[in-house]
Amino acid sequence: MKIIFTLIILLTFGVTTSSYAAEKSIIVHINGLVCDFCARSLEKVFGKQEEVESVKVDLEKKIITLNFKDTKDIDNMNIIKLITDAGYNVVGIDREGESK
Amino acid sequence: MPKLFEIFLWISAFCIMPLSHSFSKPISYSGGLSTMTMNDGDSNSFNIQYSPKFSYSIGYTGEYWRENKYKLHVVQVNYLLKRWNNPSSQGNLYLESGIGVTDKSNEINPAAFTGITSDWEDRRFLVSYKNRLSTGNDIDEEFMQQARVGITPYIGKYGDLHTWIMIEAKHTPRAKEPVTITPIIRLFKDTNMLEIGFSNQNKILFNFMKQF
Repeated sequence: MKIIFTLIILLTFGVTTSSYAAEKSIIVHINGLVCDFCARSLEKVFGKQEEVESVKVDLEKKIITLNFKDTKDIDNMNIIKLITDAGYNVVGIDREGESK
Repeated sequence: MPKLFEIFLWISAFCIMPLSHSFSKPISYSGGLSTMTMNDGDSNSFNIQYSPKFSYSIGYTGEYWRENKYKLHVVQVNYLLKRWNNPSSQGNLYLESGIGVTDKSNEINPAAFTGITSDWEDRRFLVSYKNRLSTGNDIDEEFMQQARVGITPYIGKYGDLHTWIMIEAKHTPRAKEPVTITPIIRLFKDTNMLEIGFSNQNKILFNFMKQF
């Protein structure tokens, strides 16, 4: 009984952890993000990165949300470089609520 | 449905025939390819541009000018001189130049053009201005300039169909009718942009752009 209980706890904890890992995402605040036609470039740029699962653009808030595959990630310096090379300016990057 | 719409636009664009001056941003994203056809009372044109970087693009432009009955074929280079990325707006200043030949009654002569394009837009309003000075045996020296102001009746989300209502004023000093005013409706969705207008000289404007 104790073993089963322990297994249930471990499985629950494991599933929860992997769920959080799969949902890892960051928010990037960008200047100049006003045009749908132009914002396509950011979708294309990040769509080519193997670490990125999906990209969501919000023109109203001037942000893009990057969802990563599993535990993969792109560091802030590379995110800034990719966005600058696409012709935009990064204002800030939120990682789990912490602005950097 | 979107696929059918896209096929219709492509067929329309190529049936009406290729065109001339860029009506949207003349540079795509790094590695991007854009094609456009522009048609108005003065000319028909076709342009294809490849952008190695967001700051410049290189491509081919073919134009047919009705009044003087000549064709223009040029290699065109567009360069972003300056971009202003603001919290709620963006402004751009470009230099556009082309060098190539004109073809008039099967006589080929060298030709070139250069000009400035600028735009500013936020999510509600846009303004743009461009000019161009062309030179060549079949063209002499021809100057043209055009300005646009636009407003969107609603602010769509990313991926929605976006609509703009614009007025274009075009000034071509050497033309029989130097000033043309054209109300335009611009529609764009995803990577497709369509513009339709009707000028004070009763001429149709039809532009279509596709980015890859």
